[in-house]
Amino acid sequence: MSFDDFRLIYVLACLGLGLIILSPTLGMVIKLPGGEQFSEFWVLGPGHMAEDYPFNIAEDQAYKVFLGIANHMIGLQYYRVYVKFRNQTEPLPDSVNGTPSALDPVFEYCMFLRDGEVWEKEVSFSFDGIFFEGNSCRVSSLVLDDCILSVDKFALYDEEDSGFYCQLFFELWIYNASVSGFQFHNRFVWLWLNMTRPN
Amino acid sequence: MFDSDGWRVIKKFIACFFMVSVLVFSLVHACFAIGQVDAEEMLNKAENDLASAYASVKESDFAGANVSELLNKLEFAGDLLAEANNSYRVGDYEKAYLLAVNCSNTVSNVVYEASTLKLEAEEAYSQKLMFNVEVGSIGLSILFVLSLFGWRFLKKKYLEQVLEMKPEVEAEPK
Repeated sequence: MSFDDFRLIYVLACLGLGLIILSPTLGMVIKLPGGEQFSEFWVLGPGHMAEDYPFNIAEDQAYKVFLGIANHMIGLQYYRVYVKFRNQTEPLPDSVNGTPSALDPVFEYCMFLRDGEVWEKEVSFSFDGIFFEGNSCRVSSLVLDDCILSVDKFALYDEEDSGFYCQLFFELWIYNASVSGFQFHNRFVWLWLNMTRPN
Repeated sequence: MFDSDGWRVIKKFIACFFMVSVLVFSLVHACFAIGQVDAEEMLNKAENDLASAYASVKESDFAGANVSELLNKLEFAGDLLAEANNSYRVGDYEKAYLLAVNCSNTVSNVVYEASTLKLEAEEAYSQKLMFNVEVGSIGLSILFVLSLFGWRFLKKKYLEQVLEMKPEVEAEPK
């Protein structure tokens, strides 16, 4: 090893030691960029798995699902979940343009989550007043978490899929401080429900 | 004690008193009943109060403050506001109003508490940073001095090693 090489190694070793000594200070001052910011939003069946979702719905029978949110947005976030109910002709949210459904919510949940935190809730629901008249079905009220909500929806008989279909869906909204209001977070989950006649 | 006319007068008086009472109570209730507009105004106020509280807590959290207690308050207030909005949707304006008032009261001190916690956290951060800078400076100074001594020592060792490797002349050629 030449003298110059030896000197270079010595200087590098000293610089390395210097960086180690300064690392606590540098760690406090230099903020490294975080990863991708996103929120998870899911609905699970009654067995807490992605299966056995309620589908064939009978009047006055209770069903349950699990609704969950995970925050990976870096920092505390203020979320709101809007519960909406539609028939097949009414609009769904548009995930391409990031716009919510134009329907009014029938119910809402509100939560605050820190980075990495998860919120999960057992949502129980049933339907009161399902009336069948020829080719159509009228659903008058939805009972969600013991709260009776008037929905008054008509579903026409779907020849292709043989049933009277409605959809219970959940939209995730997030508070945006720069506009001082909630914005659709482009996340939504849904349950297809086939309203069945009593036997 | 009373004759039949007396009893009749007393009965009439009681009946009148009862009717007037019912009328007064219903009018008072009608005057002070909470309508849709009142509930809506209160909900907007609660919404704004909760949003302000959230913004303050978020800033404190970012500054490194321990906001667990404030977060509990926010969550409680959030549940109240959601319930208030749900009550409003089903037309129970009185319940919506009361829940919104409760929500506003829950977060009434949160902005102040969050600001205090944020200042404390920033002060603690500054102190910690100063301590780290001081310790780092001392460490670097010691490293600088030791590295100079070390360099002299190692240089001497290196040269000795090189000199040992240098070929020596055993005898002068004739």
